Amino acid sequence: MPSAFQPHLARIVSTRDETPDVRTLRLAFVEPDVARRFRWEPGQFAEFSVFGSGESVFTMANSPTRPEYLECTMRAVGKVSGAIRSLSVGQVLGVRGPYGNRFPVETWRGKDLVFVAGGIGMAALRSPLQFVLDNRADFGDVVLLNGARSVADLVYKDEMAAWQDGGVRVIRTVDPGGEATGWDGEVGLLPHVFERLALGPDGRIVIVCGPPIMLHFMFLALEKSGFTPEQVVTTMENKMKCGIGLCGRCTIGRVFVCRDGPVFTWAQVRAFPKDF
Amino acid sequence: MSEGAMASATRLTPDELHGWLAGMLGDKRVLAAVDEDGLRVFRSVERADQIALPTGKTRWSPKEFLFARTETLFAYSVAGNEVTLDGAPVESAEQVLVGVRPCDAAGFLRLDAIFLDGDADSLYASHRVRTTVVTVACDEAGPECFCTAVGGSPASDKGSDVHLTRVADGWLVRPVTAKGDRLTASLAGVGRAPSPEEHAEAETQSTRVAGHIRQSAIAREWAAILESRFHLPLWETLGRRCVGCGICTYVCPSCSCFDVTDTGSASCGERCRSWDSCTFAAFTRHASGHNPRATQAARYRQRVLHKFSYFPLGHDGESMCVGCGRCVQLCPVGLNVRETVQAVVAAAADGHDAGG
Ligand SMILES: Cc1cc2nc3c(=O)[nH]c(=O)nc-3n(C[C@H](O)[C@H](O)[C@H](O)COP(=O)(O)OP(=O)(O)OC[C@H]3O[C@@H](n4cnc5c(N)ncnc54)[C@H](O)[C@@H]3O)c2cc1C
Ligand code: SF4
Ligand code: SF4
Repeated sequence: MPSAFQPHLARIVSTRDETPDVRTLRLAFVEPDVARRFRWEPGQFAEFSVFGSGESVFTMANSPTRPEYLECTMRAVGKVSGAIRSLSVGQVLGVRGPYGNRFPVETWRGKDLVFVAGGIGMAALRSPLQFVLDNRADFGDVVLLNGARSVADLVYKDEMAAWQDGGVRVIRTVDPGGEATGWDGEVGLLPHVFERLALGPDGRIVIVCGPPIMLHFMFLALEKSGFTPEQVVTTMENKMKCGIGLCGRCTIGRVFVCRDGPVFTWAQVRAFPKDF
Repeated sequence: MSEGAMASATRLTPDELHGWLAGMLGDKRVLAAVDEDGLRVFRSVERADQIALPTGKTRWSPKEFLFARTETLFAYSVAGNEVTLDGAPVESAEQVLVGVRPCDAAGFLRLDAIFLDGDADSLYASHRVRTTVVTVACDEAGPECFCTAVGGSPASDKGSDVHLTRVADGWLVRPVTAKGDRLTASLAGVGRAPSPEEHAEAETQSTRVAGHIRQSAIAREWAAILESRFHLPLWETLGRRCVGCGICTYVCPSCSCFDVTDTGSASCGERCRSWDSCTFAAFTRHASGHNPRATQAARYRQRVLHKFSYFPLGHDGESMCVGCGRCVQLCPVGLNVRETVQAVVAAAADGHDAGG
């Protein structure tokens, strides 16, 4: 029996450059049997590897309701993510998973939803967003608030129109100074734009993902607007190696981000010590 | 140790014991504590006379025979667009660890709790099934020893398959598990039943050695207390001395954190796992450079709290630390986890807790 560390092989079917350093890969498992069996939930992640460089974790970026391929969106920041960046269509990488918990999508039924994503954080919210689009009648009003430093740093530019047509109100914003000619979106930091939207807390769930500093100010804005920490869900990032609760690296006290997360409510995150 | 359990022991002469050990050498890998250039370590031995069953412990624990310092997970080869993976051949050769100290055997049970829980680690499991553990009751405790403070004892047979106790002119040999029964099957007709005097001698030794360990107990209730004292400023005062060398984790019988890396080129090589340490800054440092465990003191706190708080709280109060004392003995800056735990608990009781 192969060990839990031995990945499945998956071939790159297509790639799409989202920004100068972010690329989306579409993958197909080499073994037809694995392709049939490999199923995941919104919010789960996998260990992706380039042989010779190592493994890194990335969120499965497409919804389980679209299971023909596996997609992930990766920002090149280091050894493995850089090596993945240099692979081209037809080449093979390793995938093991799925790991972690998931977004509690069934508890969102009938509620209004706001997805708030900063930068590469959008990669983690694409799967639950697609899930909502594919079950659109189950949910109330759905808003996507997506921000990045500059227009060039916004991901999934080609998909926004389809999301809008599918019944999601899409609002995009860039940091002041990040506008480009012809930019018709918002200008301003996510928490400020959120406040301008004046979305009340009644019957609403907020799903947030982004860099720590954005999360911090976003939550202050949410608190000011009357949201409770239980109404806010986020997905945490911590360095990890095994993904299965063994290597000891992603822990916060007794919590393993890989096993008990990565999805947590803000109420849970708030209780974690900062310097863990 | 109960009288009932002792009843199934066999008393062997030193020659009979060596005959038994020599019998294992043919078809099993035998690992024993040997003195090698002044360093006591577990090594694979070829001859029974290399098995001296010395008093005192090896420099580092024998955990590497269950959880190797570096172990191949699989080999890969890449040719054009095709990749081939070869799972590491599952080793099945039986191995016997002879002369394991009770604290180190307790360490195996901690590793079991970590690696055989839930998503069982098949690699660890494969080494575990092929390993038989022969423990020796300690006839002496070192100044560093504190097994009795964390629920162990110098005569404990927990984690053991066959337990040995030295008596005046020989050894008491007692199988503890089914594996131990198999290993001692060759003793049928060898030796004799221990005399009441020998039983008494073993009991006296156990009490005497335990009595030499003066360290006071680390109470089970402290696990929760320690967790609640995460923000105590004392952690910084104590932990800032730590130089992050990782020695404490490398010699520890229960430290189990690891890294996963590739060795080789883009065309062929191996994916390996190897020991890592929570005392290293890079352990938690993200690719972005952000490190949630930013200071060395915070890393020292993590090590202490994992052993004495986080693990016990998830395992019926059982300490992850087994009290071998190696980290206390070998830390280059004199950090002492046991004293740290006591200081943190005491400081808070004194009202020095800054809260939080
Ligand atoms: C649950 C989860 C989901 C993620 N999803 C995405 C995503 O969809 N898109 C994306 O671009 N990034 C995502 N990340 C971040 C991504 O894992 C890191 O950017 C990546 O591991 C960096 O690896 P590297 O080898 O290029 O960097 P190096 O600095 O060379 O890192 C060395 C190794 O350390 C580990 N590591 C380093 N930083 C991180 C980190 N921040 N998180 C986890 N492991 C780390 C990895 O094992 C990595 O291989 C996610 C992180 C987590 C924890
Ligand atoms: S800590 Fe206890 S079991 Fe370990 S060597 Fe010392 S006396 Fe023996
Ligand atoms: S506690 Fe001591 S042995 Fe452990 S890493 Fe720090 S300095 Fe090294």
